[in-house]
Amino acid sequence: MMKTPFRVLSRIAVSGLIASAMTLSGLAAANAASTKAPKQITIGTLYAGSGSFADSSLPQYDGLKFWVNQMNAKGGVYVKAYHKKIPLKLIAYNDQSSSTTAATQYNQLITQNKVNLLVSDFGSVLTSVAVPIAQEHKMLLIDPTGTGGSFFTPNNPYIALTSLPTSGVWPTSLADYLIKNHYKRVALIYDQNDFDQSQATTLLAKLKNAKITPVYNNSVPTSTSNYSVLIHSIMATNPDAVIEFGYNTNDIPFLQSVSASGAHFKMLFTIFPGQLLSNIEQNVGVSGLAGTYTYPTPPLLVYNKVNYGLGMNAFTKEFQKSTHSAPNFLDVAGYNAGLVIQKTLENTTGLGQLQLRKALYTFSGKMFTLDGLFKLSPTGAQIGETLPVAQLIKSGNGLKVKVVYSK
Amino acid sequence: MLVYTVISGILFGLFCSLMGIGLNLIFGVMRFVNLAHGDFLMLGAFGAYFAYTLYGISPAISVVINMIVMIVIGALIYYAFVPRLLRSRDPEMLSLIFFFGISQVIEALSVIFFTNNPRSIDWSALGTANYQLFGQSFQESWVVSALISVIAIVLVYFYLYHTKLGYATRAVMGSLDEAASSGINVHRVSAWAMGIGLALAAAAGALSPFFLGSITPNMGSDITTTSFSIIIIGSLGNPLGTVIGGLIYGLSSMFMQSYIPSWANLVPYLLLFLILLFKPSGLLGKVVRHA
Repeated sequence: MMKTPFRVLSRIAVSGLIASAMTLSGLAAANAASTKAPKQITIGTLYAGSGSFADSSLPQYDGLKFWVNQMNAKGGVYVKAYHKKIPLKLIAYNDQSSSTTAATQYNQLITQNKVNLLVSDFGSVLTSVAVPIAQEHKMLLIDPTGTGGSFFTPNNPYIALTSLPTSGVWPTSLADYLIKNHYKRVALIYDQNDFDQSQATTLLAKLKNAKITPVYNNSVPTSTSNYSVLIHSIMATNPDAVIEFGYNTNDIPFLQSVSASGAHFKMLFTIFPGQLLSNIEQNVGVSGLAGTYTYPTPPLLVYNKVNYGLGMNAFTKEFQKSTHSAPNFLDVAGYNAGLVIQKTLENTTGLGQLQLRKALYTFSGKMFTLDGLFKLSPTGAQIGETLPVAQLIKSGNGLKVKVVYSK
Repeated sequence: MLVYTVISGILFGLFCSLMGIGLNLIFGVMRFVNLAHGDFLMLGAFGAYFAYTLYGISPAISVVINMIVMIVIGALIYYAFVPRLLRSRDPEMLSLIFFFGISQVIEALSVIFFTNNPRSIDWSALGTANYQLFGQSFQESWVVSALISVIAIVLVYFYLYHTKLGYATRAVMGSLDEAASSGINVHRVSAWAMGIGLALAAAAGALSPFFLGSITPNMGSDITTTSFSIIIIGSLGNPLGTVIGGLIYGLSSMFMQSYIPSWANLVPYLLLFLILLFKPSGLLGKVVRHA
């Protein structure tokens, strides 16, 4: 059968297309193979050198720096995509505890410094501005301690919380403890920020389910530092359990005012003694803290049996050698964020942001560090670590931690 | 509850009066807004903190030490910088920039030397007793701090109305040019005013841990804002109007904390708004202008 000119032309065209496609794919493969590994992996972060979050942000930054120095001392971090160790470079700006400044600087880290990995500053307030910026730039945000529940949504794949569960989950054990121990007259005072409000919402919902209506339930501005009148109002309701959700700058004056007022409550709960015990003890004194309750976190909870990074005792020793100061929880959180980055790079197939996210889920639920189990929910929230309830008990001239309830 | 709130408001208000009176004295004499006012108060607070924790010196004694040290520092700052500012084309604007710069320097140096960790003085440092006032129990530290505030305010009144230097100060507050032409050494009077203004801030600083909770190097800017509200309520340029402003602020804060705690932060701004709307010269504004 004779081939018509049309058939000949179409065969030539198809052959040409196939050949072109093969050439292009061959070139792409050749390109991938020949892509050079970057000279360094850049990690961008912010810290608060001054302002209300400085005393929490600086230790978190110290923990991250400690990890970077450790890695660089070993020649860098192993990156699976390039089958080699690559040195790390930490780029950090001081946001002075201002979320407005932080927003500008997060943008700068992404657009000007073009960092490979973005790590947010301490806490929900300074992380809240990073979340939409990272999402807009399709940049994975490594979030060490920003636990606001609203950050983690199904339509945002660009966030991963590395320490602590989302704040809404924190009071789970506390609520159970209150219900189990038949505390009927609960007074709740909390600060007006995402971190504390989400905890209050959870606690109130759980108490409501147990048919407990708080005898006092009020929010106060986060900047509140004078609690005398508030404590008097609380005392007037005759509560048997008083729960205060605030930052450490609230917990200190609150606990002091309780001591000064001579008030005695069967149960008194604050958050930050569990994270910054030595700092709060220095301000409030052993007597002001003895008998109170808190959520204990590492290093008050000691995890030495780990399958990744240093165990708590080894970390404490190394950290003290390096910084000449004992670590607190936020040092641990900064270091833990570093460990998560390290493991991510060891598992990633490339430095693309969604590749990094995919790598995170390869070890989610399997990695146990000094901070506990690292496990992410599908929205990037931390669900591996749990916060028990502990009581601070006077022991000699100091305090010891006794876990009284753990879910 | 109501009685407790009122008495707390008065005690807190007296402290607030002391907090703002130095700022108003400096403004009255020099027409400068000392944007570093809160930072000098913070220095006073840290002075009292270290005096107590290192040497066991009572904050009540620190009030006196702070005042002496700050009078000297204030006079030095005045002679080093203020005459130059006054010679400039726009001294008021330059003074704003100057004191803002001083504020930033003090805060930065304080962060370096004191660190960012919040500090506080043991609440029992001014006594552990509880005072019964109108059937309500108040901690001794509040009562003693309020009494010290009253003494300091009375001393300011005595200085302004019963000393030769005070007469000269009031003359300068009335009209700088007229005071100068009548032979008053304006620079000497202003240097004293600067020193006393900072001394009063530092005195309030020594008592601040008992009313404001913990102290940090960055507490200054909030205190400057609050102090500014207090003096505007009373009347800008009238140091004794500050007492009225302080009491109104203290009472409003405590009422808000007792009955609508969520809105307590709005107090200084709400009061400022109301005063500017209905009596822009401040509650004692008329008295100042026609004194």
